[in-house]
Amino acid sequence: MVRRWTLMSVLVGLLLVAGVACRPGGQAEGPIKIGAIFDLSGPTSDVGLPYSEGIRGFVEWLNANGGLNGRQVELVWQDYAYEVPRAEQLYTQFVQEGVVAFMGWGTGDTEALRSRIADDKIPFMSASYSHVLGNPEEAPYNFLVGTSYSDQFFIVLKWILEDWQAKGGTGAPKVAFMHHPSPFGLSPWEQGGKDFAAQNGIEAQAFEMPRGATDFTPELSRIQEFGAKYVVFQTVSSPASLALKNAKSLGMTDVTFICLNWCADEILVELAGDAAEGTVGAMPFTPPTVEAEGLKAPAEFLASKGESLEAKGLHYSQGWWTMAVMVEGVRRTLEAGKALNGENIKATLEEMRNYDTGGVTAPITFTPEDHRGSKAMRLFVVRNGMWEPLTDFRSVEQ
Amino acid sequence: MESGIFFTDYRADMALRRKPTQQVRLGLFVAFLLIFPFVASPYWLTLANQIGIATIGAIGLNILVGYTGQISLGQGAFMAVGAYTSGILAARLGVPFWLSIPIACLVTAAVGVVFGLPSLRLKGLYLAMATLAAQEIVEWVITHWTSLTGGTEALVVPAPTLLGARVNTDFRFYWIILVAAGFTALFTANLFRSRVGRAFVAIRDQDIAAEVIGVNVFFYKLLAFATSSFFVGLAGALTAHYRTIISWERFTIEVSILYLAMIIIGGLGTINGSFFGAAFMTLLPAFINNVGRALRDVAPLVATLLPAVQQGVFGAVLIFFLIVEPEGLAKLWRNIKDYFYVWPFSY
Repeated sequence: MVRRWTLMSVLVGLLLVAGVACRPGGQAEGPIKIGAIFDLSGPTSDVGLPYSEGIRGFVEWLNANGGLNGRQVELVWQDYAYEVPRAEQLYTQFVQEGVVAFMGWGTGDTEALRSRIADDKIPFMSASYSHVLGNPEEAPYNFLVGTSYSDQFFIVLKWILEDWQAKGGTGAPKVAFMHHPSPFGLSPWEQGGKDFAAQNGIEAQAFEMPRGATDFTPELSRIQEFGAKYVVFQTVSSPASLALKNAKSLGMTDVTFICLNWCADEILVELAGDAAEGTVGAMPFTPPTVEAEGLKAPAEFLASKGESLEAKGLHYSQGWWTMAVMVEGVRRTLEAGKALNGENIKATLEEMRNYDTGGVTAPITFTPEDHRGSKAMRLFVVRNGMWEPLTDFRSVEQ
Repeated sequence: MESGIFFTDYRADMALRRKPTQQVRLGLFVAFLLIFPFVASPYWLTLANQIGIATIGAIGLNILVGYTGQISLGQGAFMAVGAYTSGILAARLGVPFWLSIPIACLVTAAVGVVFGLPSLRLKGLYLAMATLAAQEIVEWVITHWTSLTGGTEALVVPAPTLLGARVNTDFRFYWIILVAAGFTALFTANLFRSRVGRAFVAIRDQDIAAEVIGVNVFFYKLLAFATSSFFVGLAGALTAHYRTIISWERFTIEVSILYLAMIIIGGLGTINGSFFGAAFMTLLPAFINNVGRALRDVAPLVATLLPAVQQGVFGAVLIFFLIVEPEGLAKLWRNIKDYFYVWPFSY
């Protein structure tokens, strides 16, 4: 009898699987659907959560304020736990449900979906700022709102040259590039950074930060032997803060540490504490500690919910404004009276010139030849546990 | 109602499907597979293709773990070898996929033999450690041999062309996977009706006894590694052409563990178990995801907890099925068949 019930429950379970998964697809009219995948439970969920809240917050705020030309925007989203196969499943599912654009998250899913979105003609924005994704020949439907990793690295290298000369350094400055062992980590180094350093008289060397390491003293000791006075991190906050602590114990006080955008955030300051003092950050998105016109709307929206932008951190406004740029593309497509599809949204985005994000990023410009929206950003520095501006917006050319 | 099975000639006795019900079921299943892509939505086709590739990989692993009893944690590595070999041949040398995939399978088989060498001296957990080393070594080689693999950068593989058409949709790729999976299943089913397959099983059951009755244990162990890796490489190569972009991150130790879970849940040493396991491990997260999405609209409060709950539910369901039937879904399926076989007089 027991056996029979188990068999029956298995059969019923299988039927349920079939039933729930066979939900009908989307309609042509009604709300405008935009797909999104977030990392809410995977390895990057610490920053993935505020980023996703920013995107969802923007959509809620937009809909509460009349939506897009009277139409509501529906965000079709799901957690994918940074698992690429799951990202692929969700992407196909959402496209089938009729989304016209897609918000991705990490390097893994953005890379994996790159050729797929080009075949499906779905404009795609994510928080992966790999230089190659801004090249329409390689990735025709990817758009970068943040400054590309390579551009960030170039700007940082230029600043290092200035700082080195201002401090009266002679000879070529030595720079150590400490990176995450992944495509994300090596992206700025391989995609132009190595050559840029050589051309500008900087002696640079890459050091890999091994996966799962709990101590970076060996790498830092090698950097000391190399004699670098500048260390540039391309990794996420927790390994970077660990390295900062190790460096402090090693007494590397004459070395300047610089974080590219994924470790230049509040989490780094929180984790590294004192060791973060004096760390320079490459920040394409203005943190909430600094006044900016574009931060008012998210701050007010959060205040109305009894929360604060300071507590959410800069990844919230990063998500908010990335979504805002995508939605702006959709809005302009609607206003031009064109059919709402991926191809038209892409064409409209490519006409975007100097779109003002209220000082959260440099003005955004896309062209058919270049999908790197903002080429400029500001450098910040940690003083008394707060990110304070160090420079104004600057680009590689300046 | 039947009271036994009788055969009057050896042909019938040796048939792969001996009972008429088996033949009908197989016919229905094949018919379903042929009709499915015409009625399924793109989402279901994606799932079907993922299941197809996972089935090939799971059968490959089952040959080694389930049939020969040699535990392996190197599944991800062998898939990576297959994927990168086929991908590099297609992307750099322009080799057509129908040639690059078999080459990739053979290369993976060779690599499998190399990493199978420790099995001469090592058994059980010790062999698991040795294959774990294979996983790490292959990962290291892929990420550091930049001139060949592109290092940590993703490798872009052109979508295969067949009869002048680009096989770049789920619908078109479905047929390639179907042929590959059919071949894999048929080959494996027949393998274990042969001398070689029985030698594998003898090694699993008692290697010393196998040696005594004249099985060259070392040779057959390596042959098991080669055969298994061949199909695992096939799964990897198909992944490369199906996804058209691959990076080492797709073939980590987590993949090895996922596949082990697949064949354990599905049923060790069975072919339909490999399919059940692959389907189960693909559909369950998708199912939980969809339930999660549906619940989110009904109860927004649940939304914040959901991501964490999803992982927990996944684990709990796995444990539930293992407790209900430790021999896997294949055994569960057999129980269902047995139940209806004597229904309604189940004494």
